[in-house]
Amino acid sequence: MKNKKTIAGLLLILLLIIITGCTDEAGTEKNQSTSKDKSLTILFSFASKTIDPHQDWMGVRAGIAETLVKLDDDLAIKPWLAESWEQKDETTWVFTLKEGVRFHDGSPVDGEAVKASFERAIEVNEALAPALKIDKMEADGQQITFKTTEEYPAFLSELVHTNASIIKADADNIGEKPIATGAFQVESFSSEEEIKLKKYPKYWDGEANVDHISIKFNSDANVRALALQSGEADISYHLPPESLEPIESHNELRVESVASLRVHFFLYNSAKPELQDVKVRQALDLLVNRPVAVEEIMNGHATAANGPFNPDFEFASEKDPTSYDPSKAEKLLNEAGYEKNEDGNLEKDGKPLELTLATYEGRPELPMMAQYFQSEAANLGIKVNVVTVENIDSYLWEQQQEWDIVTYSNLTAPRGDGGYFLNVAYLPDGSLNPGQINIPEVNNITKQLNKEADQEKRIELQKKAVEKIQEEISQSFILHPHIIVGVNQRVKNWKPGSEEYYLITNEMDVE
Amino acid sequence: MKKLLLMIGSRMLQLVIMVLFLSFITFLLMKITPGDPIRTMLNVDDIAATKTDEENLMKAYEFDRPILEQYGKWVLGVLQLDLGESLISKRPVLDMILDKLPATLSLSIGGLVVLFIIAVPMGILGAVYEGRWPDYLSRWTALTGASIPSFWLGLMLIYVFSLQWNLLPVMGKGTLAHFILPSVTLGVAMAPMYIRLLRERLIATLQSPYIEAAKARGLRKKRIIFSHALRGSLIPLVTMFGLSIGSLLGGVTVIEILFSWPGMGELIVSAVMQRDYPVIQGYILIIGFLVVLSNLVVDFMYMMINPQINNGEESVS
Repeated sequence: MKNKKTIAGLLLILLLIIITGCTDEAGTEKNQSTSKDKSLTILFSFASKTIDPHQDWMGVRAGIAETLVKLDDDLAIKPWLAESWEQKDETTWVFTLKEGVRFHDGSPVDGEAVKASFERAIEVNEALAPALKIDKMEADGQQITFKTTEEYPAFLSELVHTNASIIKADADNIGEKPIATGAFQVESFSSEEEIKLKKYPKYWDGEANVDHISIKFNSDANVRALALQSGEADISYHLPPESLEPIESHNELRVESVASLRVHFFLYNSAKPELQDVKVRQALDLLVNRPVAVEEIMNGHATAANGPFNPDFEFASEKDPTSYDPSKAEKLLNEAGYEKNEDGNLEKDGKPLELTLATYEGRPELPMMAQYFQSEAANLGIKVNVVTVENIDSYLWEQQQEWDIVTYSNLTAPRGDGGYFLNVAYLPDGSLNPGQINIPEVNNITKQLNKEADQEKRIELQKKAVEKIQEEISQSFILHPHIIVGVNQRVKNWKPGSEEYYLITNEMDVE
Repeated sequence: MKKLLLMIGSRMLQLVIMVLFLSFITFLLMKITPGDPIRTMLNVDDIAATKTDEENLMKAYEFDRPILEQYGKWVLGVLQLDLGESLISKRPVLDMILDKLPATLSLSIGGLVVLFIIAVPMGILGAVYEGRWPDYLSRWTALTGASIPSFWLGLMLIYVFSLQWNLLPVMGKGTLAHFILPSVTLGVAMAPMYIRLLRERLIATLQSPYIEAAKARGLRKKRIIFSHALRGSLIPLVTMFGLSIGSLLGGVTVIEILFSWPGMGELIVSAVMQRDYPVIQGYILIIGFLVVLSNLVVDFMYMMINPQINNGEESVS
């Protein structure tokens, strides 16, 4: 009998713990906006552990912080916190800041504040020092002068990066409540759970239309789609193509689909003798059925690729994507010395053409592309072995002898300039060049580009590089996946951008 | 009393050895599996970096030093109660974990309550009506529960209760309503084992001499089951519970991610993906500590339920 009481007592305590455990935040819900306030909820995929704008993209995405320059809708660089800039010589850049911009605590944004912000950014983020190459800075009133360590024309486009945003560097608790200049300020942040924002009434570019915004996170794409349908989220990011049907047929919801700055591609290992023959690479490229990949694998939410860069860019190729043409592929392989043996397999000097194609599950469409390619190759008499690895990067770098082709995906011009991709994917020391691509002509163009400040000439150089890359076929660029966002019709004046740097604006509105 | 103190002392020693061993194995595994946090730290996916930059950072963080030396450094930190800071977000690991721990614990408890609500009646039904339809019902319930993947069950529950009937929130935390779906998902996933175990034990107990004697004395069946047999059958359940705390905390991860439950799930999954060593190590340390500690508590309950058990002879874990 006594024991029963003990057990009952324990159960009661458990229940009490639960109830207190889940009402601890219910109390804070009371400071919710009044009925007149406009508010909206955004559901995002990658949970932020911190909203320090120097560490995490959310600082700029959430409309809290801003950079000196930004990308406009046409992906061209335009002023933001900076009014204007001038390149004095090869390594000196002078930026003049807009007048009247204030941090959320009311303090003015002058050269000194910007300098302090950059000093902190470089200190806390390992990636920024090599990206910005700042040697020293001088502040003078509303002006700030940057001296770079070397001739560095890409400096301007690198300033677009969200981690180069301007915050009040000496504020406390920057990871949870950064103080910056954006249209919204942080009310509260709980790591990986929710950012609560309220509009900053004195925003320099005009008070925001929406009073309160909540950004929540969920890494399960299906749940993101369900939360949009149930009305729990007004905007749901990164929805899977197969979940769109109920959203498209719902009259209160719409789907926005915009080509991203990412490209999915096959990368060929240039250390492999079979793949060093350009005719073999051309043949393999002809086996990639881009329209099928776009329609069947991506449900139409992708744009066929004609090179590494999103076709909207001025420096992208203007040619059509390579057409699927197996008979031409076979001809090229014959020219390269491959003949069908009695088993129907292509061989050269008695050695059948057998290739290892590596892929990974991180982006579910990539293994599908690999399988599709495998069957196309088999039809022609090429044996392709698909291997799925857990950590693709370490596999590619540490087992360079094991793979011939890999399904890969990169952002190619994240800040509206292709210089980034040309440097990392083609230079022999680049961090995204596990295929050991080394095309002297492309290397030379990239080195010229790294010294060329004139925007027109930069575009010309990049176009030249793209042309050479497409001739060499060191990769088969397949498609640019779309960013798919589900939106409730009550959200007005808003659509997702390709660059994924800007999400919340002062112009967005709700009914 | 002396015995009790001895037991606590020896258990504490076990705890320290266990956690040390666990943390070393984790450290070793982390270092020999491919991948490191360097590329994430350099943000190579959108900021230009060279292999030289990667090597420099590798040296700066001493990831190229011998494993034992790196582990030794970490242990020294732990001894000073310093679990280090995350390589990616630069926040102190201890803060990150302690922020998230309460939510994980409260969801685990919620799952246990659901488990209890399902398993006890089903287990009793199965035992009392052995071989008849309620037994089959209980068996099928257990089988179904065991076969459904919890992420699928969670999605279905969201679809039905949130989308079709608009009764409960899809995700997040805050009110009692937010608690229901994740707790049910967790409880259903864990119940089958307990249903079967309770049934087996009850059947065995109901056939034992003292129950036979009670029957002979003309006690009512209900009374026999609820005040005699059930108590005897709870002991193995408690044992089982102690053993399955580890799997409970593992199972909770999937459910937390699905329901955006702000526990440690998202934290540890992204830490593993990014190879954020200090976070993984800190998590293992704290979870290991919790599992061993809860086993200790289970032993106490064991002694309470059944004082005849001499700890020296029949240790639980």
